[in-house]
Amino acid sequence: MARHSHFHSDKVSSSSDHQHHHHSRSKSAGNKHHSSSNGTDLSSNGVKNGSAAGYYTNGNSATGNGHWKMARVFNDGDESTINRKLPKELLLRIFSHLDVVSLCRCAQVSKAWNILALDGSNWQRVDLFDFQTDIESVVVENIALRCGGFLRKLSLRGCQQVGDEALATFSMYCNNIEYLNLKYCKKITDRTCQSLSLHCHKLQYLDLNSCSMVTDMSLHYLAMGCTSLKHLDISWCEMITSDGIIPMAQGCPKLETFICKGCVQIKDIGLMIFAVACPNLQHVSIQGCRNIQDQGIIELALHSPQLQYLCVSNCSQLTDLSLTALANNCTQLTTLECASVSQFTDTGFQALARNCHLMERMDLEECVLITDATLRVLAACCPRLEFLSLSHCELITDEGIRQLGMASCSAEHLTVLELDNLPLITDSSLDHLVACHNLQRIELYDCQLITRAGIRRLRNHLPNIKVHAYFAPVTPPPNATGTRQRYCRCCVIL
Amino acid sequence: MPTIKLQSSDGEVFPVDVEIAKQSVTIKTMLDDLGMEDEEEEIVPLPNVNAAILKKVIQWATYHKDDPPAPEDDENKEKRTDDITSWDADFLKVDQGTLFELILASNYLDIKGLLDVTCKTVANMIKGKTPEEIRKTFNIKNDFTPSEEEQVRKENEWCEEK
Repeated sequence: MARHSHFHSDKVSSSSDHQHHHHSRSKSAGNKHHSSSNGTDLSSNGVKNGSAAGYYTNGNSATGNGHWKMARVFNDGDESTINRKLPKELLLRIFSHLDVVSLCRCAQVSKAWNILALDGSNWQRVDLFDFQTDIESVVVENIALRCGGFLRKLSLRGCQQVGDEALATFSMYCNNIEYLNLKYCKKITDRTCQSLSLHCHKLQYLDLNSCSMVTDMSLHYLAMGCTSLKHLDISWCEMITSDGIIPMAQGCPKLETFICKGCVQIKDIGLMIFAVACPNLQHVSIQGCRNIQDQGIIELALHSPQLQYLCVSNCSQLTDLSLTALANNCTQLTTLECASVSQFTDTGFQALARNCHLMERMDLEECVLITDATLRVLAACCPRLEFLSLSHCELITDEGIRQLGMASCSAEHLTVLELDNLPLITDSSLDHLVACHNLQRIELYDCQLITRAGIRRLRNHLPNIKVHAYFAPVTPPPNATGTRQRYCRCCVIL
Repeated sequence: MPTIKLQSSDGEVFPVDVEIAKQSVTIKTMLDDLGMEDEEEEIVPLPNVNAAILKKVIQWATYHKDDPPAPEDDENKEKRTDDITSWDADFLKVDQGTLFELILASNYLDIKGLLDVTCKTVANMIKGKTPEEIRKTFNIKNDFTPSEEEQVRKENEWCEEK
């Protein structure tokens, strides 16, 4: 009996325990449930006056402006069952299932719902891509106030109207941001990176792809304030040079992913110092950085033992020395894209394949010097190969494809094989591929010696494969003006 | 199969399989802390749940007794509310008062699966509606002044298609 009463008083909640329980439930959300109560009134100069810190710590308490938004959430006389029955924590739990459009509409229902809908806990991850053309600076400023320190992930991808002003406000209020996507926000300049550097020290992911007004100054700023960066994309920021890369790398040594497609002004010296300063690199793309030479890649390879992904497509000055360096140092490599690096030869790929057994994806399009010898060593040494592009590698013959078809990767992993524009391969190549059970797509455009019959035989063995090929109509109909049948070169699937 | 007796706030007693009752983390914790040895006749009073709601909760827990544990809240997961099973949807065809009582009870009893599905059901009652339609659905009074209403409308119009 004594135990029973113990049970009763301690374990089963009385109504005051009930409250307590509530609190512990919502605790998992940390300070989420502080309402972002100083609201959305952005038309005034509240933006400039309120400090982010004040905003954050004040939580529920009014900032003293006596605004209606400070009103109690629930009036005793509320006629609405939902408001009368459910406490704020549970209404917020319901709201956590809503998208931004629904939240914006809830904000217009009543004063109490306005406070709830705009609560920072609902606005931790915001993606405005769907609204990109409509998003003007004032919206970003509104969201900055709405979310404040709660916001950790924001995508403004494609929001071309958004400029430095809005991002300055944003940086000030949302200083806990970890992920920021500004791809195609073409209006922004170095000022945005300055703002981020001043306030957003937790930033780990930044995408500035195609923000073409960004210069080396931006990288200087990031190096000073955003030293936690792990992922940086500055593709097509064509004004960036080695002078920006060097301090950036030294300030952001935690970088794991660095993408700088089309940054043609980056030279070896930039890449070399970058590689030395950032020992954790795993994903690097210097696609189209045509001034990079072997020395840059050799240094990158030497200092990046964890490298898994490398794209050097269109870096046309590179030679087998680069491949050899990768082979000797980057054995974790799984993806290599080197389209149009036309000086690469069998020697380089043989070294690579012999050391990098984890290769899964290789894009060798227009590596015009390679021969069947490359395929032989890939077949022998890279059992995990899934994706292989050999487009325009014109020296490849049936013998190379035969080697590939017999390899251990073929039966288990190979899913995509691009063989378009290989003038020497014939239907017997296809016959060698019938054991590639996982093959889902094969490209055969402009392979002059491949016939419909060969493709039909392949499909008999691999009924689900997508074959992309094109056969010109037998004879063009004479005098077929006006109603000539139209062929789409890229979509004719047998 | 051992059973326990759950007593509602209005005094009704429901015998329930222990395994079914343990979907409530609140009850499970209580039983684990206490140990369930000899006293089969233990009565667990649940002062926050009335008989009608407790009956519904037991019905839900009985149907879902073999479910895998509900997944943890994943912040990065896409917000989905279209994944309610047809059994649950039928089960939740109740008046608003009952639905909100179920939310309160599943929160108090800490039954995550029921809490999720009831909250999603309410979220679905909100989705796709205009502010006025939401007010009507939940009988909420518009307490904005016309100028305040205009201001909040402006602040939120960006989410509407143009």
